[in-house]
Amino acid sequence: MQALNESLNAKKDSKTALKTTPVAHAYIKTTAKWAIVNEMEIAVEFASNDIEQTRKKVLGITDVSCFERYGIKGPQASKWLADHELAIPSNPNSWALSNQKDLVLRLGSSEFLIEDQLDDVASKKLADITRVEGLYPVVRADAAFILSGSEVLNLFSELCSLDLRDSSLLANDVVMTQVAGISAIVMRQNLNGEQVYRLWCDGTYGSYMWEMLLEVAVELGGGAVGLSSYKN
Amino acid sequence: MKLLTCPVNGTRPLSEFIFGGEYRQAPEQNSCTDAEWAAYVHNRHGAPGDKKEWWYHSPSGTWFIAERNTLTDKVSSTYLLSQKNLNEEKAAQEAGK
Repeated sequence: MQALNESLNAKKDSKTALKTTPVAHAYIKTTAKWAIVNEMEIAVEFASNDIEQTRKKVLGITDVSCFERYGIKGPQASKWLADHELAIPSNPNSWALSNQKDLVLRLGSSEFLIEDQLDDVASKKLADITRVEGLYPVVRADAAFILSGSEVLNLFSELCSLDLRDSSLLANDVVMTQVAGISAIVMRQNLNGEQVYRLWCDGTYGSYMWEMLLEVAVELGGGAVGLSSYKN
Repeated sequence: MKLLTCPVNGTRPLSEFIFGGEYRQAPEQNSCTDAEWAAYVHNRHGAPGDKKEWWYHSPSGTWFIAERNTLTDKVSSTYLLSQKNLNEEKAAQEAGK
Protein backbone atom coordinates (compact mmCIF):
# COMPACT_ATOMS: atom_id res chain seq x y z
CA MET A 1 0.00 0.00 0.00
CA GLN A 2 2.84 2.39 0.85
CA ALA A 3 4.47 1.78 -2.53
CA LEU A 4 1.15 2.43 -4.25
CA ASN A 5 0.64 5.71 -2.41
CA GLU A 6 4.20 6.82 -3.21
CA SER A 7 3.60 6.02 -6.85
CA LEU A 8 0.35 7.98 -6.85
CA ASN A 9 2.01 10.93 -5.13
CA ALA A 10 4.78 10.94 -7.71
CA LYS A 11 2.22 11.42 -10.47
CA LYS A 12 0.53 14.38 -8.84
CA ASP A 13 0.66 17.87 -10.30
CA SER A 14 1.98 20.73 -8.28
CA LYS A 15 -1.63 21.93 -7.79
CA THR A 16 -3.40 20.51 -4.77
CA ALA A 17 -5.94 17.79 -5.47
CA LEU A 18 -8.63 17.33 -2.85
CA LYS A 19 -9.54 13.86 -4.11
CA THR A 20 -8.37 11.19 -6.48
CA THR A 21 -10.50 9.37 -9.00
CA PRO A 22 -11.98 6.13 -7.62
CA VAL A 23 -10.39 4.41 -10.62
CA ALA A 24 -6.88 5.45 -9.55
CA HIS A 25 -5.77 2.01 -8.38
CA ALA A 26 -6.45 0.62 -11.85
CA TYR A 27 -4.62 3.49 -13.56
CA ILE A 28 -1.45 2.71 -11.69
CA LYS A 29 -0.70 -0.02 -14.23
CA THR A 30 -0.76 2.46 -17.12
CA THR A 31 1.47 5.31 -18.22
CA ALA A 32 -1.30 7.88 -18.27
CA LYS A 33 -0.89 11.64 -18.15
CA TRP A 34 -2.57 12.98 -15.03
CA ALA A 35 -4.21 16.32 -14.35
CA ILE A 36 -6.43 17.92 -11.75
CA VAL A 37 -9.99 18.49 -12.95
CA ASN A 38 -12.64 19.82 -10.57
CA GLU A 39 -10.19 19.29 -7.70
CA MET A 40 -9.94 15.60 -8.61
CA GLU A 41 -6.76 13.99 -9.80
CA ILE A 42 -7.57 12.01 -12.91
CA ALA A 43 -5.89 10.55 -15.99
CA VAL A 44 -6.54 12.74 -19.03
CA GLU A 45 -4.38 11.04 -21.68
CA PHE A 46 -3.56 7.38 -22.17
CA ALA A 47 -2.03 7.52 -25.64
CA SER A 48 -1.47 9.90 -28.54
CA ASN A 49 -4.48 11.80 -29.84
CA ASP A 50 -4.58 9.72 -33.05
CA ILE A 51 -4.66 6.45 -31.12
CA GLU A 52 -7.32 7.72 -28.72
CA GLN A 53 -9.51 8.99 -31.58
CA THR A 54 -9.27 5.57 -33.23
CA ARG A 55 -10.19 3.87 -29.95
CA LYS A 56 -13.15 6.24 -29.51
CA LYS A 57 -14.55 5.15 -32.86
CA VAL A 58 -14.24 1.45 -32.05
CA LEU A 59 -14.71 1.24 -28.29
CA GLY A 60 -13.39 3.94 -25.99
CA ILE A 61 -13.63 3.83 -22.20
CA THR A 62 -13.25 7.20 -20.46
CA ASP A 63 -13.20 7.87 -16.74
CA VAL A 64 -15.30 10.96 -16.00
CA SER A 65 -15.59 10.54 -12.25
CA CYS A 66 -14.34 14.13 -11.97
CA PHE A 67 -17.61 15.59 -13.30
CA GLU A 68 -19.31 17.42 -10.47
CA ARG A 69 -22.48 15.64 -9.38
CA TYR A 70 -25.01 16.12 -6.68
CA GLY A 71 -27.92 14.04 -5.42
CA ILE A 72 -31.15 15.22 -3.83
CA LYS A 73 -34.23 13.42 -2.59
CA GLY A 74 -37.37 14.18 -0.62
CA PRO A 75 -40.89 15.49 -1.13
CA GLN A 76 -39.59 18.97 -2.05
CA ALA A 77 -37.03 17.73 -4.59
CA SER A 78 -39.10 18.44 -7.73
CA LYS A 79 -40.07 21.90 -6.50
CA TRP A 80 -36.45 22.67 -5.63
CA LEU A 81 -35.33 21.72 -9.13
CA ALA A 82 -38.07 23.86 -10.65
CA ASP A 83 -37.07 26.82 -8.43
CA HIS A 84 -33.52 26.53 -9.73
CA GLU A 85 -34.74 26.33 -13.33
CA LEU A 86 -33.43 22.83 -13.80
CA ALA A 87 -35.27 20.44 -16.10
CA ILE A 88 -37.38 17.80 -14.33
CA PRO A 89 -37.57 14.45 -16.13
CA SER A 90 -41.23 13.52 -16.37
CA ASN A 91 -40.99 9.92 -15.14
CA PRO A 92 -38.78 7.90 -12.80
CA ASN A 93 -35.96 6.19 -14.69
CA SER A 94 -35.60 8.97 -17.22
CA TRP A 95 -33.25 11.91 -17.74
CA ALA A 96 -33.26 15.42 -19.16
CA LEU A 97 -30.62 17.93 -20.16
CA SER A 98 -30.92 21.33 -18.55
CA ASN A 99 -29.42 24.44 -20.16
CA GLN A 100 -27.48 22.12 -22.51
CA LYS A 101 -24.99 21.34 -19.76
CA ASP A 102 -26.61 19.90 -16.64
CA LEU A 103 -27.68 16.30 -16.75
CA VAL A 104 -30.67 15.58 -14.49
CA LEU A 105 -31.45 11.91 -13.85
CA ARG A 106 -34.68 10.96 -12.11
CA LEU A 107 -33.83 7.86 -10.09
CA GLY A 108 -37.21 7.54 -8.37
CA SER A 109 -40.40 9.51 -7.85
CA SER A 110 -38.57 11.94 -5.54
CA GLU A 111 -34.86 11.27 -6.05
CA PHE A 112 -32.61 13.01 -8.57
CA LEU A 113 -28.98 13.01 -9.64
CA ILE A 114 -27.62 16.21 -11.16
CA GLU A 115 -24.32 16.06 -13.01
CA ASP A 116 -22.37 18.82 -14.72
CA GLN A 117 -21.00 18.15 -18.16
CA LEU A 118 -17.34 18.91 -18.81
CA ASP A 119 -16.51 22.41 -17.54
CA ASP A 120 -19.83 23.38 -15.96
CA VAL A 121 -19.99 23.93 -12.19
CA ALA A 122 -23.73 24.46 -11.64
CA SER A 123 -24.29 21.43 -9.40
CA LYS A 124 -21.40 22.44 -7.17
CA LYS A 125 -22.96 25.85 -6.65
CA LEU A 126 -26.36 24.29 -5.97
CA ALA A 127 -24.86 21.89 -3.46
CA ASP A 128 -23.62 24.81 -1.39
CA ILE A 129 -27.07 26.34 -0.93
CA THR A 130 -29.25 23.32 -0.20
CA ARG A 131 -30.84 23.88 3.20
CA VAL A 132 -34.55 23.30 2.64
CA GLU A 133 -37.09 21.38 4.69
CA GLY A 134 -38.23 18.23 2.90
CA LEU A 135 -35.11 18.18 0.73
CA TYR A 136 -32.24 15.88 1.57
CA PRO A 137 -28.80 15.89 -0.05
CA VAL A 138 -27.49 12.54 -1.24
CA VAL A 139 -23.72 12.27 -1.15
CA ARG A 140 -22.51 10.89 -4.48
CA ALA A 141 -19.15 9.16 -4.71
CA ASP A 142 -19.67 7.46 -8.05
CA ALA A 143 -17.18 6.15 -10.51
CA ALA A 144 -18.50 7.48 -13.83
CA PHE A 145 -17.60 6.46 -17.35
CA ILE A 146 -18.26 7.32 -20.98
CA LEU A 147 -18.39 4.38 -23.37
CA SER A 148 -18.21 5.23 -27.06
CA GLY A 149 -17.78 3.55 -30.41
CA SER A 150 -19.27 1.05 -32.79
CA GLU A 151 -18.56 -1.98 -30.55
CA VAL A 152 -20.13 -0.63 -27.38
CA LEU A 153 -23.22 -2.85 -27.61
CA ASN A 154 -21.00 -5.91 -27.96
CA LEU A 155 -19.31 -4.89 -24.73
CA PHE A 156 -22.66 -4.60 -22.97
CA SER A 157 -23.76 -7.97 -24.33
CA GLU A 158 -20.80 -9.48 -22.46
CA LEU A 159 -21.24 -7.60 -19.19
CA CYS A 160 -24.95 -6.78 -18.88
CA SER A 161 -28.02 -8.97 -19.24
CA LEU A 162 -30.26 -6.19 -20.58
CA ASP A 163 -30.83 -5.33 -24.22
CA LEU A 164 -29.51 -1.77 -24.56
CA ARG A 165 -30.05 -1.29 -28.28
CA ASP A 166 -31.81 1.86 -29.46
CA SER A 167 -35.09 -0.02 -29.88
CA SER A 168 -35.09 -1.14 -26.22
CA LEU A 169 -33.33 1.70 -24.44
CA LEU A 170 -35.20 4.84 -25.44
CA ALA A 171 -33.33 8.12 -25.85
CA ASN A 172 -34.26 9.47 -22.41
CA ASP A 173 -34.37 6.19 -20.47
CA VAL A 174 -32.27 5.61 -17.37
CA VAL A 175 -31.66 1.97 -16.51
CA MET A 176 -30.63 0.75 -13.09
CA THR A 177 -29.22 -2.73 -13.54
CA GLN A 178 -26.07 -4.76 -12.99
CA VAL A 179 -22.97 -4.44 -15.16
CA ALA A 180 -20.21 -6.97 -14.53
CA GLY A 181 -22.19 -8.04 -11.47
CA ILE A 182 -22.19 -4.56 -9.95
CA SER A 183 -25.21 -2.31 -9.49
CA ALA A 184 -24.96 0.46 -12.05
CA ILE A 185 -26.89 3.24 -13.76
CA VAL A 186 -26.77 3.24 -17.56
CA MET A 187 -28.12 5.69 -20.12
CA ARG A 188 -27.49 6.78 -23.69
CA GLN A 189 -26.48 10.33 -24.49
CA ASN A 190 -25.43 12.49 -27.40
CA LEU A 191 -22.12 14.13 -26.52
CA ASN A 192 -20.50 16.55 -28.98
CA GLY A 193 -22.63 15.06 -31.75
CA GLU A 194 -21.56 11.53 -30.93
CA GLN A 195 -23.82 8.89 -29.40
CA VAL A 196 -22.23 7.47 -26.25
CA TYR A 197 -23.32 5.43 -23.28
CA ARG A 198 -22.88 6.68 -19.73
CA LEU A 199 -22.31 4.41 -16.77
CA TRP A 200 -22.19 5.14 -13.04
CA CYS A 201 -21.39 2.71 -10.25
CA ASP A 202 -20.39 3.00 -6.61
CA GLY A 203 -16.92 4.49 -6.37
CA THR A 204 -15.57 1.62 -4.30
CA TYR A 205 -16.07 -0.61 -7.35
CA GLY A 206 -14.41 1.94 -9.66
CA SER A 207 -11.15 0.11 -10.24
CA TYR A 208 -12.90 -3.23 -10.70
CA MET A 209 -15.36 -1.75 -13.19
CA TRP A 210 -12.57 -0.01 -15.11
CA GLU A 211 -10.59 -3.23 -15.40
CA MET A 212 -13.64 -5.20 -16.54
CA LEU A 213 -14.63 -2.59 -19.13
CA LEU A 214 -11.08 -2.20 -20.38
CA GLU A 215 -10.49 -5.94 -20.66
CA VAL A 216 -13.50 -6.34 -22.95
CA ALA A 217 -12.71 -3.12 -24.81
CA VAL A 218 -9.19 -4.27 -25.66
CA GLU A 219 -10.54 -7.63 -26.87
CA LEU A 220 -12.88 -5.77 -29.20
CA GLY A 221 -10.18 -3.46 -30.58
CA GLY A 222 -10.71 -0.43 -28.35
CA GLY A 223 -9.10 0.84 -25.18
CA ALA A 224 -8.73 3.62 -22.66
CA VAL A 225 -9.46 7.16 -23.79
CA GLY A 226 -8.50 10.20 -21.74
CA LEU A 227 -10.86 12.98 -20.79
CA SER A 228 -8.82 15.40 -22.95
CA SER A 229 -10.21 13.86 -26.11
CA TYR A 230 -13.69 15.10 -25.11
CA LYS A 231 -12.45 18.59 -24.44
CA ASN A 232 -10.96 19.11 -27.89
CA MET B 1 -32.23 -17.51 -16.73
CA LYS B 2 -34.91 -16.91 -14.12
CA LEU B 3 -36.68 -13.60 -14.40
CA LEU B 4 -38.65 -11.48 -11.97
CA THR B 5 -40.61 -8.31 -12.69
CA CYS B 6 -39.87 -5.27 -10.56
CA PRO B 7 -42.95 -3.01 -10.51
CA VAL B 8 -40.75 0.04 -11.11
CA ASN B 9 -37.88 -1.19 -13.30
CA GLY B 10 -39.46 -4.00 -15.29
CA THR B 11 -38.43 -7.59 -15.91
CA ARG B 12 -34.88 -8.38 -14.83
CA PRO B 13 -32.75 -11.46 -14.15
CA LEU B 14 -33.21 -12.95 -10.70
CA SER B 15 -29.58 -12.19 -9.88
CA GLU B 16 -30.55 -8.52 -9.50
CA PHE B 17 -32.96 -9.35 -6.67
CA ILE B 18 -32.64 -10.28 -3.01
CA PHE B 19 -35.29 -12.24 -1.15
CA GLY B 20 -36.58 -10.39 1.91
CA GLY B 21 -38.75 -13.00 3.63
CA GLU B 22 -42.48 -13.57 3.82
CA TYR B 23 -44.69 -10.52 4.10
CA ARG B 24 -46.65 -10.83 7.34
CA GLN B 25 -48.99 -8.41 9.01
CA ALA B 26 -47.88 -7.74 12.59
CA PRO B 27 -50.58 -8.03 15.26
CA GLU B 28 -51.59 -4.82 17.03
CA GLN B 29 -48.82 -4.71 19.63
CA ASN B 30 -50.78 -2.73 22.26
CA SER B 31 -53.78 -5.05 22.32
CA CYS B 32 -52.57 -8.51 21.25
CA THR B 33 -51.84 -11.29 23.73
CA ASP B 34 -48.31 -12.43 24.56
CA ALA B 35 -49.02 -15.69 22.76
CA GLU B 36 -50.06 -13.86 19.58
CA TRP B 37 -46.93 -11.69 19.68
CA ALA B 38 -44.67 -14.67 20.37
CA ALA B 39 -46.24 -16.53 17.47
CA TYR B 40 -45.60 -13.55 15.19
CA VAL B 41 -41.98 -13.25 16.28
CA HIS B 42 -40.98 -16.91 16.39
CA ASN B 43 -43.25 -18.94 14.11
CA ARG B 44 -43.18 -19.19 10.34
CA HIS B 45 -45.67 -20.82 8.04
CA GLY B 46 -43.44 -23.26 6.15
CA ALA B 47 -45.98 -25.23 4.13
CA PRO B 48 -45.62 -24.64 0.38
CA GLY B 49 -48.36 -22.64 -1.32
CA ASP B 50 -49.30 -19.10 -2.32
CA LYS B 51 -47.25 -16.61 -0.31
CA LYS B 52 -46.71 -12.87 -0.26
CA GLU B 53 -43.00 -12.11 -0.06
CA TRP B 54 -40.70 -9.13 0.20
CA TRP B 55 -38.23 -8.81 -2.67
CA TYR B 56 -35.55 -6.15 -3.19
CA HIS B 57 -34.26 -4.90 -6.54
CA SER B 58 -30.71 -4.06 -5.50
CA PRO B 59 -29.55 -1.77 -8.38
CA SER B 60 -32.42 0.64 -7.77
CA GLY B 61 -33.09 0.02 -4.06
CA THR B 62 -36.73 -0.90 -4.63
CA TRP B 63 -38.59 -3.04 -2.07
CA PHE B 64 -41.77 -4.63 -3.37
CA ILE B 65 -44.19 -7.50 -2.78
CA ALA B 66 -44.24 -10.62 -4.97
CA GLU B 67 -47.09 -13.09 -4.73
CA ARG B 68 -45.42 -16.44 -5.37
CA ASN B 69 -46.42 -20.06 -5.13
CA THR B 70 -43.55 -21.62 -3.21
CA LEU B 71 -44.42 -25.10 -4.51
CA THR B 72 -44.41 -24.29 -8.23
CA ASP B 73 -42.19 -21.16 -7.95
CA LYS B 74 -44.68 -19.32 -10.13
CA VAL B 75 -44.97 -15.57 -9.45
CA SER B 76 -48.52 -14.39 -10.05
CA SER B 77 -48.02 -10.66 -9.41
CA THR B 78 -45.59 -8.07 -8.11
CA TYR B 79 -46.45 -4.62 -6.75
CA LEU B 80 -45.28 -1.91 -4.39
CA LEU B 81 -46.72 -2.08 -0.89
CA SER B 82 -48.17 1.42 -1.39
CA GLN B 83 -49.99 0.13 -4.50
CA LYS B 84 -51.44 -2.71 -2.44
CA ASN B 85 -52.76 -0.28 0.18
CA LEU B 86 -54.25 1.93 -2.53
CA ASN B 87 -55.88 -1.05 -4.23
CA GLU B 88 -57.32 -2.26 -0.92
CA GLU B 89 -58.70 1.20 -0.08
CA LYS B 90 -60.24 1.43 -3.54
CA ALA B 91 -61.79 -2.04 -3.22
CA ALA B 92 -63.15 -1.17 0.25
CA GLN B 93 -64.68 2.05 -1.09
CA GLU B 94 -66.31 0.21 -3.99
CA ALA B 95 -67.63 -2.48 -1.62
CA GLY B 96 -69.11 0.23 0.63
CA LYS B 97 -71.08 1.86 -2.21
